Amino acid sequence: MIAFALEIGVGALMLLVFIATLVARGDDRRWVGWLAAAGTLALTLLALPLSPAPAQLGGAFVQDGLALFAKRLFLAATFIGLLGGLSLPGRPFLRRAGEYHILVLASLLGMLVLASARDLVLLFVAFELMSIPLYILAGFAKREAGAVEAALKFFLVGSVSSAVMAYGLSFVYGAVRTTSLAGVAKAMPDGDGLLILGLLAVFGGFGFKIAAFPFHMWVPDTYEAAPTPFVAWLSVTPKAAGFVALFRVYFEGMGTAVSFWVPVAAGLATLTIVAGNLMALPQQNAKRLLAYSGIAHIGYMLVGFAATSASGTAMVLFYLVAYVFGNMGAFLVVEAVARSEGSEHLAAFRGLAQRSPLLALAMLLFLLSLGGIPFVAGFWAKLYVFWAAATAGLYWLVLLGALLTVVALFYYLIVAKRMYIEAPPATTRVPLEPMLALAVLLCALGVVILGVYPKPLVMAALRVAAPLF
Amino acid sequence: MIPESWYLALSAVLFTIGVVGVVIRRNPLVIFMSIELALNAANLALVAFGQRTGSPDGQALVFFVMAVAAAEVAVGLAIIVAIFRVRQRLSVDELSMMRW
Amino acid sequence: MSAYLPVLIFAVLIVAFGVVSLAVARLARPSRPDVVKLANYECGAEPIGPAWVRFPVGFYLVALLFIIFDTLAVFLFPWALVLKPLGLSAFWVMAAFIGIVGLGWIYAYREGVLEWK
Repeated sequence: MIAFALEIGVGALMLLVFIATLVARGDDRRWVGWLAAAGTLALTLLALPLSPAPAQLGGAFVQDGLALFAKRLFLAATFIGLLGGLSLPGRPFLRRAGEYHILVLASLLGMLVLASARDLVLLFVAFELMSIPLYILAGFAKREAGAVEAALKFFLVGSVSSAVMAYGLSFVYGAVRTTSLAGVAKAMPDGDGLLILGLLAVFGGFGFKIAAFPFHMWVPDTYEAAPTPFVAWLSVTPKAAGFVALFRVYFEGMGTAVSFWVPVAAGLATLTIVAGNLMALPQQNAKRLLAYSGIAHIGYMLVGFAATSASGTAMVLFYLVAYVFGNMGAFLVVEAVARSEGSEHLAAFRGLAQRSPLLALAMLLFLLSLGGIPFVAGFWAKLYVFWAAATAGLYWLVLLGALLTVVALFYYLIVAKRMYIEAPPATTRVPLEPMLALAVLLCALGVVILGVYPKPLVMAALRVAAPLF
Repeated sequence: MIPESWYLALSAVLFTIGVVGVVIRRNPLVIFMSIELALNAANLALVAFGQRTGSPDGQALVFFVMAVAAAEVAVGLAIIVAIFRVRQRLSVDELSMMRW
Repeated sequence: MSAYLPVLIFAVLIVAFGVVSLAVARLARPSRPDVVKLANYECGAEPIGPAWVRFPVGFYLVALLFIIFDTLAVFLFPWALVLKPLGLSAFWVMAAFIGIVGLGWIYAYREGVLEWK
């Protein structure tokens, strides 16, 4: 049972929040959210001392180092995301706070199971458990035309990707005659055409969820219209879960056959980095800017994936952690500014450094981390990923990635310029709810600590990635 | 006994119809039906492959794909109803946000 | 050929059930024909007209709930077939599953989804 401790914990928390939702009366039911956030914090702390456990359910569910690494990350990110959303204004969030939090927890449960899934059935179900609540959450403000339209788009694209994935899974099953991923890995070196075709289709399905280039079109609209604290969480955790599942399906136990994925991943990485960065350049809306820059970051992680090595995998894991803190933090600052100014336009950031120096400093840290400037987390993340790719001989990919990092710096620094050089429209401080401030602070701490002292996390990532190969 | 390849061919046809429907149709409900068609194509392929192996794994996966499809139907219909309530009309072209 | 005997028996029973119920109903009920009663019945929608009509949104909500229980049945059938060899643990797993679906139903009820608006 200990292997399922976190999953059972999240399930129990969902039940608790559900009962609270049934009990809750009145128009402000946000206290239910406090319950969910406190429970997630407790589970995060519970996850820290856990150690790997033997495989369960006939090998379908493994609680190994990689799973635990990923689960701690998901839980911590969800805690920060819930903190940021606790003070969401607006009627739907006051009245339907229970729904919001149960859906976030349901999606979290899907991610936790996904990180452990070593069987196609479990993988598919966990993947959908993660995805379906996200569609609802994107359209949570159901009286706003923009939100529901973005939810529809997200839903249609997501369902198509599920269908493609299911069709790919049927081919994989037809080729290897078993649903266990160990069986898939064993059959991979034979290079059966049906299996390759199926795995490519599944890769496409994953591509939609992690928002790699040709499958990214839902991202900017969904991010722009959905509630920002949710977007902060949406932009990082499902992507992290998608990458962990990618490692499980395409790397674990495959041996030398992994080299087959190098051209696929490298091609996808190239497209995603170029498209994400170039499309981010003209954006004037902070959320759309972060959406496109997030796509570019997925591309950088695919560079690490293309290295198809233990160190590449470990560096993607490190990148994911850096990305969780940097990207969530940036979105949460956008939320704080947008709540005060009523606009997500970059102009809302004018003179932020004079109005709220600490908030501006936090945003600067996040932008530098996303841009890859030394001594914040994102720098090491990019460096390590490039280093792993170079070790694998993908020099052209590293060169391209480094080149576009400069482009990325340009649009990140435009935001910094608005905050630090332009004159503020008003001299009042930007009001900041305590919990939102705490969430921003946690992200800033993460970015700084990982930037100054990345070694323990890098070692941990290397340790958990090694058994995959 | 109908050979397995026939099932697979039918499943490929269904999947193609589904994908083409998603790409060329503009009504969310029809797109949605096309997606369901594609999911059922996957189910058919799974059952056909499962018949060959004689193991229940593939058919078990079919049950879960069906459950997932039902969950998607529930969420998708709810979103479409919500859009309808807000906008009072329903075509992807008329949704300003639906630029691909 | 004897394998088809149960099918034959069922076919006879099915036809007989229809005939007998209709006959009993005809004998037992009072006869008061009415224009509304004679019209085709189609779940609250206009029975005659173009196929592309607007349905009340309430139908969708009920349909959503129906789908959930429909899917529940998908899992109940294979479960019922193997319940005996698997024993009590399988029973409790399904009980938990039904319980979770039931919780969702309770929430829908609390939110007033089942009230016809």
